[in-house]
Amino acid sequence: MNNAKIFIAAFLVNNIILMRFIGLCPFFGVSTSISTAVGMSAAVLFVMLLAAWVSWVLYHVLLFPLGLVFLRTAVFILVIASLVQLVEMYLKKYLRNLYSALGIYLPLITTNCAILAVTFFNINYKFNLLQATIFALGTALGFALVIILFATIRERLEDAPISPAFKGYPIAFIGAALVSLAFMGFTALFGIS
Amino acid sequence: MNNHPSRLSYLTSGIIKENPILILMIGLCPTLATTVTARDGLGMGVAASFVLICSNVVISAIRRLVPDSVRIPIFIIVISTFVTIIDYVMQAYQPDLYRVLGVFVPLIVVNCIILGRAEAFAYHHGIIDSFLDGLGKSIGFGSVLFVMGALRELFGNGTILNYPLLPTAYRTSPMLFAIFPPGAFFLIGLLKALVNKLGWGR
Amino acid sequence: MDWLLIIKSLLLLGGLGLTLGLVLLVASQKLSVKVDEREAKIRSALPGANCGACGYPGCDGYATAIVAGKAPLNACSVGGPKVAQKIGEIMGQDVSAAEPRVAVLICRGGKNEAPYRFQYRGAGNCRQAALLLGGPKACIWGCVGFGDCVNVCPVKAITIGENRLPVIDEKRCIGCGKCVAECPKNTLILIPRTKLVYLACVSHDRGKAVKDACSVGCIACGLCVKVCPVSALRMERNLPVMDFEKCIDCGICVHKCPTRSFIDRAPGRPKASINPRCTGCGECIKVCQFKAIEGEPGKHHRVIPEKCIGCGQCVLVCTVKAIDLVGALGHSVKKV
Repeated sequence: MNNAKIFIAAFLVNNIILMRFIGLCPFFGVSTSISTAVGMSAAVLFVMLLAAWVSWVLYHVLLFPLGLVFLRTAVFILVIASLVQLVEMYLKKYLRNLYSALGIYLPLITTNCAILAVTFFNINYKFNLLQATIFALGTALGFALVIILFATIRERLEDAPISPAFKGYPIAFIGAALVSLAFMGFTALFGIS
Repeated sequence: MNNHPSRLSYLTSGIIKENPILILMIGLCPTLATTVTARDGLGMGVAASFVLICSNVVISAIRRLVPDSVRIPIFIIVISTFVTIIDYVMQAYQPDLYRVLGVFVPLIVVNCIILGRAEAFAYHHGIIDSFLDGLGKSIGFGSVLFVMGALRELFGNGTILNYPLLPTAYRTSPMLFAIFPPGAFFLIGLLKALVNKLGWGR
Repeated sequence: MDWLLIIKSLLLLGGLGLTLGLVLLVASQKLSVKVDEREAKIRSALPGANCGACGYPGCDGYATAIVAGKAPLNACSVGGPKVAQKIGEIMGQDVSAAEPRVAVLICRGGKNEAPYRFQYRGAGNCRQAALLLGGPKACIWGCVGFGDCVNVCPVKAITIGENRLPVIDEKRCIGCGKCVAECPKNTLILIPRTKLVYLACVSHDRGKAVKDACSVGCIACGLCVKVCPVSALRMERNLPVMDFEKCIDCGICVHKCPTRSFIDRAPGRPKASINPRCTGCGECIKVCQFKAIEGEPGKHHRVIPEKCIGCGQCVLVCTVKAIDLVGALGHSVKKV
């Protein structure tokens, strides 16, 4: 797979949220307003790239050569948890506005399936470091695209007349169903499966 | 079984009133991804239940030894231990299920339900209570996973657990929408609306 | 038992844990943010309703502003004197509390009192209804009754009553003023909790025009201005304006108003009672506006309880302190 195809696959065809169902909790939690969606996407992009690099290096330099592949779950998640803590401290000191905008979402990135999933995919697809970077970048941008698009939809839904049983999550899910249906149109784009 | 009133409620609250997926709205990723058929949903439910119950018990057992500031990494290590166990057990004994569930087995470690219960419950309660809480929540989300899987398989394939239930005419051209991602979102939206209408958790 | 494998795993995980722990430790030192601990203390002293009555964005915003020296210490009307006191202690300064206030509706024209001019079929919110010729009620000034105030109240203290007027639960109301800002007809105001009597009408029409529109509207007859014992009322644009500093909440205007346009918030009013010290001088009979005292000159006077409204004017004029106000436990008339 050449690099462009890896990117398109991660960004659109196998979009992490709408096609793979990974990263749903922040998807529904943060997409209520565009500003939080943008902030969350930025944080996810940053953490995802760093996590992809550190975990790739740890796997190929330590885990695999030492035959300790079975430790990858624990190692990857520990790395991600620490990275998130570091990002949180950095934001608190240097980017106060973003820090107060993201509030409780930062620790939530730790349990964000998307980041852990990317680290696993990098191993399963046997990417080299460059390919892993492109994959992480494509995934993070795909995440950002969907979350921000969906935020615009949800902001409209706020004022729409919806029956009480459907208010909140149900109508958001159904909205996501429709967006996901649209994204299915990207299947087999450029011959990617 | 304990008949202490609050003990029993730990068990039963997880099934309806505090159903993790339909009321607390956590643990959504596996719910939508792994419920293409009833068997997959059930398999995922069992795997995650194993991790939830075991980690609840262990964390409750060691809770007095764990200082507050490092508790999250400790929880994560305990949970990832059990996830690794179930990962390799499934690879060995249920390889086709493992192939279908794919990356979602190791992703159990970041399932909000498990870390959430560890933090909110197991860290502050005794072993039996934590076991009951874990069991209750497991039944809760396990049933949702099974129901979702069954419904999606029924509409998308005409079968449940591979038993044909709908007439052949339907099964030759079923509603594929149910099997694909949009169908999953749609179905859980309807389920949640139904739960809202019935007033669960209020 | 592959001991080598176990040892390798322990070493790797242990090493990783230690490394990460060290990195985080160093980072927490170098990236530490100095937070004024007073801010956290003040924040926990604040009620946390985030209503904005103080004029700052939420309790967090107010706490930050206090520590920055930009905010007065007693701006929290929800927390009242207790919270202001606590903040004063934390900041090491003296403080006087902002007076707690409560929201009241200054319109009595519900669906029983004020007829409708037309049937309104539009969006069910006050702001839109008010745009259409001032609302469907015959009185174009009064409360529209669709409940915009209900929606903005942060403590759910308002409900729309059976008479199509908002009913404010005074115990719940925190006096934040959000409903006052939201009302498009300005029929909600904040008054000090100690204020008992106020005018409940905003119609600037007079006479027949008001009577046609609402049975309890102020017709601008001016009677209240005449009977007020402390001259706290004056007519302005066909409405009596009350000077809260002068008003003693005696309640005379409430009873004298021909259209019952005033509201008395007191849960109960006392009644006058004449004790044996009475000399029969008759001063009290002269001052009573309700003819509630009877008696012959020189003989012991008597209060007619059904007519007495407890305004306390007779108590003021009695030279021998023969009159007491009794009843209505917990209620007292100001400055008597």
